[in-house]
Amino acid sequence: MFFGYTIILGICCGEKEIENMDLLDQILPLVKKPARYAGGEWNAVCKNWGEVDLKVAFAFPDVYEVGMSHLGLQILYGIVNSRPDALMERVFAPWPDMAEKMREHEIPLFALESKRPLRDFDVVAFTLQYELSFSNILYMLDLAGIPLLSASRSEEYPLVIAGGPCAFNPEPIADFIDLFVIGEGEEVINELLDAVAGGKRDKLSRKELLRKAVEIQGVYVPSLYLVHYGEDGAFLRVEPADSSVPARVKKRVVKDFDQVSFPTSPVVPSTEVVHDRMMIEVLRGCTRGCRFCQAGMIYRPVREKERGTVLRQARELVRNTGYDELSLVSLSTSDYTPVQEVVKSLLDEHAAGGVSLSLPSLRADQFSVDLAKEVQRVRRSSLTFAPEAGTQRLRDVINKGVTEEDLLAAAGAAFREGWLAVKLYFMIGLPTETDEDLDGINRLAREVLSLGRKAGVPRGRLKVTVSVSSFVPKAHTAFQWEPQAPFEALKERQAYLSGKVRDRGLTLNYHDAGASFIEAVFARGDRRLGQVLSKAFELGCKFDGWTEYFNLEKWLEAFKSAGLDPAWYAYRSYGYDDALPWDHIDPGISKRYLAREHQRAMEGITTGDCRTGDCPGCGLCGALEIEPVLAGSERDV
Amino acid sequence: MFRYRIIYAKVGPARYISHLDLLRVFDRSARRAGLPVAYTQGFNPHPKMTFAAPLSVGTAGEAEYADMELARDIDPAVVKSALAGAMPQGLRLIEVDRTPEAAASLMALVERATYSARAELASPLRDEVLARAIDSFLARPQIIIERQGKAGAKKEYDIRPGIFAMSGCVNNDIIKIKAELKTGSSGNVRFEELLAAFLKESRLPLRGRLSLTRTGLLFRGAEQG
Repeated sequence: MFFGYTIILGICCGEKEIENMDLLDQILPLVKKPARYAGGEWNAVCKNWGEVDLKVAFAFPDVYEVGMSHLGLQILYGIVNSRPDALMERVFAPWPDMAEKMREHEIPLFALESKRPLRDFDVVAFTLQYELSFSNILYMLDLAGIPLLSASRSEEYPLVIAGGPCAFNPEPIADFIDLFVIGEGEEVINELLDAVAGGKRDKLSRKELLRKAVEIQGVYVPSLYLVHYGEDGAFLRVEPADSSVPARVKKRVVKDFDQVSFPTSPVVPSTEVVHDRMMIEVLRGCTRGCRFCQAGMIYRPVREKERGTVLRQARELVRNTGYDELSLVSLSTSDYTPVQEVVKSLLDEHAAGGVSLSLPSLRADQFSVDLAKEVQRVRRSSLTFAPEAGTQRLRDVINKGVTEEDLLAAAGAAFREGWLAVKLYFMIGLPTETDEDLDGINRLAREVLSLGRKAGVPRGRLKVTVSVSSFVPKAHTAFQWEPQAPFEALKERQAYLSGKVRDRGLTLNYHDAGASFIEAVFARGDRRLGQVLSKAFELGCKFDGWTEYFNLEKWLEAFKSAGLDPAWYAYRSYGYDDALPWDHIDPGISKRYLAREHQRAMEGITTGDCRTGDCPGCGLCGALEIEPVLAGSERDV
Repeated sequence: MFRYRIIYAKVGPARYISHLDLLRVFDRSARRAGLPVAYTQGFNPHPKMTFAAPLSVGTAGEAEYADMELARDIDPAVVKSALAGAMPQGLRLIEVDRTPEAAASLMALVERATYSARAELASPLRDEVLARAIDSFLARPQIIIERQGKAGAKKEYDIRPGIFAMSGCVNNDIIKIKAELKTGSSGNVRFEELLAAFLKESRLPLRGRLSLTRTGLLFRGAEQG
C-alpha cells in the first residue's frame, strides 16, 4: 500500500539548482531529446534539501526512456520519498551527445529533481538489471566526478550501493560498489537507510557504517570479503574477512507481497518511454522452473496479490497518472490465479474511460489467447509466445512446459480471433542443441504461418516474427555449470537459420552473438573482471546494450590488457563440486536442487510446478521460512 | 462535442517537451483532471486536441493556444481549475474559454508570433550600437538563409518578408532582442533562423547562448503588435 506523501511538495529551487539550471539551459537546446534531462514530470517529488537528512539518488545505468520503464525505480522512489527524513531523486545515463556537452561545460552528472550533482547525495543507488549495463555504471560515476573504485573513495563521496537481479553474482562489479543489496528491496531499503541515518548521527566512518550494515540480512559488502584464487588461476572461494561477517548473504524476500508498498502515484514521463503505461505487479516469482531462467530462481517463492488489492491499485493509478493503458506485469501473468476475474473487473470498471489493458507475459496456450481476446476489446497489437526451443526434446531439457499442440492451438486461435501478427521467441545455443532443434524452429514458424493463411489472414498483412536470442548461462540456475556455445558456433547457427527461416510473411531477428558472449562472461564472472571493466571504460565502452555502441573489439582488447581470457569465463564447464564465484550469495534455493535439475535436464526429464502441490524440493521455503501465497487462499501473515 | 480554447504558458522544464509529446501530456493531464476528453473513432483513438503553431523544443511560450474537445458541456472555469491542478511543472493555464465547434482551426488562424531572446553579454554594448545593427540588418532588401529541404538538399530562402518588427535593448550585462514574425503554413520564419542570420552579421559579444521565448501569437484580424 502506498501512503501518499506526508511532506510538503515544494518546488525545487535551491540556489545550486538555479545555478545549474541556467547552465543546463545553455546545453539542453543542443542535445537530442532534452526532455530526458529536464525533470518536472507529473508526480516527481521535489523535497526541500534543507529539511531532509538523507539524500538518495536512484541511478539507472541506461538512458531515461529505458530507466523510466522500470517498475523497481518507481517502487523504491515511492518508499524512500514517503519517509519524512529522506528524499530520493532520479538519474539516468546521459546519451553520449549530452555527456559530451556536460564535459565541455563542466557540468557534473546531476539528479533530475533538484539538478544537484550526484556528489552531493549521501547514497547513490544503482540498479543492476543486465550485465551489459555495467560499463555505464563507470561512465556515470566518472561523469559525476566520483572516483570509480570503492577503495579510492574517501568519506566525502556518497555511499555507492547496488541491487537488482545482477547483484546475485555481484563479483564482476564488486570493485566499484561499496554495498550490495541481495533480493527484494522494499523492506531492506528502509533498514539500510535507518543504518545510514544512524551512521550520520553517530558520525561513523564509512568503514564503521559498512560493518554495521552487514548485520542487515541481504546486505553484502565486498570489501569485507577476501577472494582466493588457485595458482592455475582457478577461482577458489570468497571468504569473510572475519567471523563477525556472515559467510553467506541470504537474499531478502517480501513476505506480505499483497500489502507491501506499491507505487500508485508513479512519475509520469512527459516524453515517450519504452513502457509508457501504468503497471501493476500482480504476482512475484515464478515456479515453472525453466532451467535457463534466473528470474524464475531468484524471485521465488510465488506470491500473488489479492484481487481487491489489484482493483484498488488500478483505480488509484488511473486517477493519479492519466495513462490510458494498464499493464498487469509479472514473470507469467497467465499463471495469476484470479486473472480472468481481475481482467473482467478491470475492463468493466475502466474500459468506458478509454483505459485498455495489456498482459505482457502470456503462456503459449488457448487459455492465454482467450485472455488476450478479452483484454483487447479496445485495441489490437501482435501476440507474442515464447516456446524457446524448436523440438519437444529440447523443451523438455530446458523444462519449458509448452507443447507443440499448445503453441499451435494458441497461434491458430490468435489468427482466427483477428490478430495479424504473431511473434515467437526462441533461444539458440542451449545445452544439448543439435541441427534438428534448429530445424524445429523453422518448422514451427512455418506451421504458425500456415495457420495464419488457413485462418484467412490476408497474405500481405500476415506476419510471423521469429526472434532468436543466444543462451547465456546464469548464476543460480540449473544451467550455471554449462558452457555457452562458442561465438563462432552461434554465428553459424544464426546463419543456418537465416538460410531457412525465409518466406513471405516470415521475419527472423537475432541478437548480436558478441554481446551475448560478453554477457556470459559477466554473468558467471569473478572479481578479477573489475580490471576488465576499468580498462573497457577507459577504451570508451558504454551503452553496451545498444548495438550502435557495443564494440566487441574494445572488449577483447580490455581483456587482453587485464591478462584475462573471456573464453575461459564463457565456455567453462563447471563440476557440481567446483566452487562458484557466487556461492557466497544465498538465493534460498539449494545448490543440490539445481544440480538435480541439471541432471534431469541432461536426461530430458521435466519437473513440475510447485503451484500444483508437487514440491520439486528447491529448498527455499525452509531456508527463508516462507511459503508460496496464491490469491484467494488463506493467508497467515 | 464541446470545444474549449486554452491559453497556457510552457516554461521551465516544460520547454523541453516536444510538440509530438505535448498532445500526450495534455491528454494525460485532462484525464487526471477527470475531464471527459473526446476521442476520434477507430482502432487507435486519439484525443481531439489541436495546437496552434508548434513551438521549437527549448523555446519557452508565454501564451500558447490549444483547442480541446470534451464529450460533456462543462463550465470553462471548472475546466480551468481542474486542468490547472493536473499539469506537469512548467505548463501553466492562463485562460479557458468556449469556442464554437465550427470555428476555424487554430493552425489556420495563427498569422504572426512575437518573440524575445535574452543572453548575457561578454563585454559592454551600447543600446545605440545594437539599434544600428538591427536597422542595418532590416534595411537589407533580402535576408537569405539556408533550409534543409525534405530530400535533404539545401534550399535558399528569403526571410525578410516575414519579419514585421525587430528591436533590442541592453540592461547592464543582459541583452534582449524582440521580433514579430510570420507564422503559419506559408512564409513561416523561425526565430532561431532570424537570430542566426542577425548574429552572423552583427557579431554581438554574447556569453553563451540566447534563451528564447515566444511571447505571443497573433491571429488573423487581430491588432498588430
